[in-house]
Amino acid sequence: MLRIRLAGDADMQWSWIPQNWSIIWPYTLDNLLLGLVPPLIGLVIALPVGIACVARRWLYPPVLSLSSAIYALPSLALFVVLIAYTGLGNLTVIIPLTLFSLCVLIPNVVDGLRSVSEPVRQAATAMGFTQVRRLVQVELPLAVPVVIAGLRVAVVSSISLASLGQLIGVSSLGYFFIDGLQRDFPTEIYVGLALTILLAVLCDVILVVSRALLTPWARGRRIGPSPRLAWPVAGR
Amino acid sequence: MITFDGVTKRYPDGTVAVDSLNLDIPDGKIMVLVGPSGCGKTTTLRMINRLVEPSAGRVLLDGRDVADANPSRLRRGIGYVIQQTGLFPHRTVEDNIATVPMLTGRKKADARARARELMELVGLDPPTMARRYPHQLSGGQQQRVGVARALAADPPVLLMDEPFSAVDPIVRAALQDELIGLQARLHKTVVLVTHDVEEAIKVGDLVAVFRPGGRLAQVDSPERLLGAPADDYVRDFVGFDRGIRRLSFFRAVSLDLATDSVLPAATTLADAITVGKRAGEPWLLVVGGDRKPLGWAAVADLESGPPDATLAGADLAPVGHTFRPEADSLRAALDATLLSRTERAVGVDDGGQVLGTTSYERLRDAIRAAEEAADRAADPVGGGR
Ligand SMILES: Nc1ncnc2c1ncn2[C@@H]1O[C@H](COP(=O)(O)OP(=O)(O)OP(=O)(O)O)[C@@H](O)[C@H]1O
Ligand SMILES: [Mg+2]
Repeated sequence: MLRIRLAGDADMQWSWIPQNWSIIWPYTLDNLLLGLVPPLIGLVIALPVGIACVARRWLYPPVLSLSSAIYALPSLALFVVLIAYTGLGNLTVIIPLTLFSLCVLIPNVVDGLRSVSEPVRQAATAMGFTQVRRLVQVELPLAVPVVIAGLRVAVVSSISLASLGQLIGVSSLGYFFIDGLQRDFPTEIYVGLALTILLAVLCDVILVVSRALLTPWARGRRIGPSPRLAWPVAGR
Repeated sequence: MITFDGVTKRYPDGTVAVDSLNLDIPDGKIMVLVGPSGCGKTTTLRMINRLVEPSAGRVLLDGRDVADANPSRLRRGIGYVIQQTGLFPHRTVEDNIATVPMLTGRKKADARARARELMELVGLDPPTMARRYPHQLSGGQQQRVGVARALAADPPVLLMDEPFSAVDPIVRAALQDELIGLQARLHKTVVLVTHDVEEAIKVGDLVAVFRPGGRLAQVDSPERLLGAPADDYVRDFVGFDRGIRRLSFFRAVSLDLATDSVLPAATTLADAITVGKRAGEPWLLVVGGDRKPLGWAAVADLESGPPDATLAGADLAPVGHTFRPEADSLRAALDATLLSRTERAVGVDDGGQVLGTTSYERLRDAIRAAEEAADRAADPVGGGR
């Protein structure tokens, strides 16, 4: 489909970068925003939903099926459908990415809460924690490592999927892929690619560091199930 | 006082875990609930702090039905220790211990100071341990933190569900001893669940033996449980060696020690032989001027020596094991006797001075007398078990 010539240095024009800094920077920033906002909205929604799923066991299977179904949708198709309602604006990208984030985050919130062992839960109750207090002071803090593991996946996939937004005119690093392709100018594609990876790695490192700071107790100790999804799935 | 008044617990699946239980747990005592797996011990315990609600009957705490209490407030006044510890992995040792004081609104600094006091009480060194996380402790240390946490708000009642089952036997014995020591100072009303009869007998002031199906077989002091089991079930449950174990509860003061075979080192061999023959004793205990034991002289060997020599120069067998009749049990006296080469053990006072010596015959008489006295006390009407 794409005819990118895989070639050596001849195709990479380093001088293009400083000359075009003024467009590289804003696209990068927009891409970063598109990568961060959906997981954050997703987290805000996933927490109560996950908590509800743990409290009411019967709720979880349908929620899980629904989110798997959503996860299977091609993002481009979602964009196209949404254009009819939200036009060619940021929302058209943010909504699908938020949905995808939810698909990762809800199971992680549920797994995180369930990773709290029964004796710990019982001890908390027996010491006189009310349900709400137990949730806030015991269960949620203990779920943090698993939730952050989900957040890492959500952020990295959002950053990479955000570039698709460019297809419907939403500013992101996708601009360089489309422009580079149209002009048959590989340098631009490489720059877009490199920046996408850079953003993803940067955010991931920040999340890993913040997890270490938030959960000093988890150091040197394996906690909970591993993140449900490995690296972002290709081919959306 | 905790009272179970006709309490039955039937779980939703139909399992009857506890069946019409009537039980009084007096203040300031350790009540041990013991019985085979699945007989409803944990369920019984959890009905006290309302982790489980009875299907019928009432549980009273100081005369008030716990069902009328606000559960959270009720629980803050009842310490709870479980086998798996249930320590919060995300809180340091001191913050784990400070949990209930913080819940009840004490200031963090206050609560932590209290936590450090409790760490000392349970034998944990605050400077090295306070800031650790639970996973950085050994099993025995974790269990100590669990006990400290349960005691932090100074609750009058302490519930313990197999608190020492997960640690190795040596640590378990140490923790049991510490519990006994703590209780001597704190006088809590303790309800402890175990499936280990030894543990029940060691730590319990009272022992409630459950049978399968959640019914009570016998509630009694450990002595009486061993001495007068209510039926064959209890007899089997407390074990085949209950006779020996029961001796732990009989004090060795009742033992009639031999004193005429204890001789000063200055005694001549001729006199010693006379004494030995008159007493019918093959062994004589030789003591120094301070009445501390020097060793055993065999009467048969003395005859080969010069009659006017003294015991000081004779070949003596080692003293062997000693025991203190004032402090030790008949079991300790029996052990000391069995383990000594001369088949006699030396009873000494706190200063190590000889009070007299044992023999199998003397032990047998003392055991019989003690058992008869205990049985009379257990069964005032007379008649057999
Ligand atoms: N939540 C529950 N639902 C249904 N049945 C239960 C529940 N909890 C306990 N039981 C059943 O009730 C009975 C008593 O259980 P309980 O835990 O009180 O026994 P236990 O004496 O503490 O046993 P163990 O020594 O094995 O801990 C068992 O048959 C058990 O299977
Ligand atoms: Mg149990």
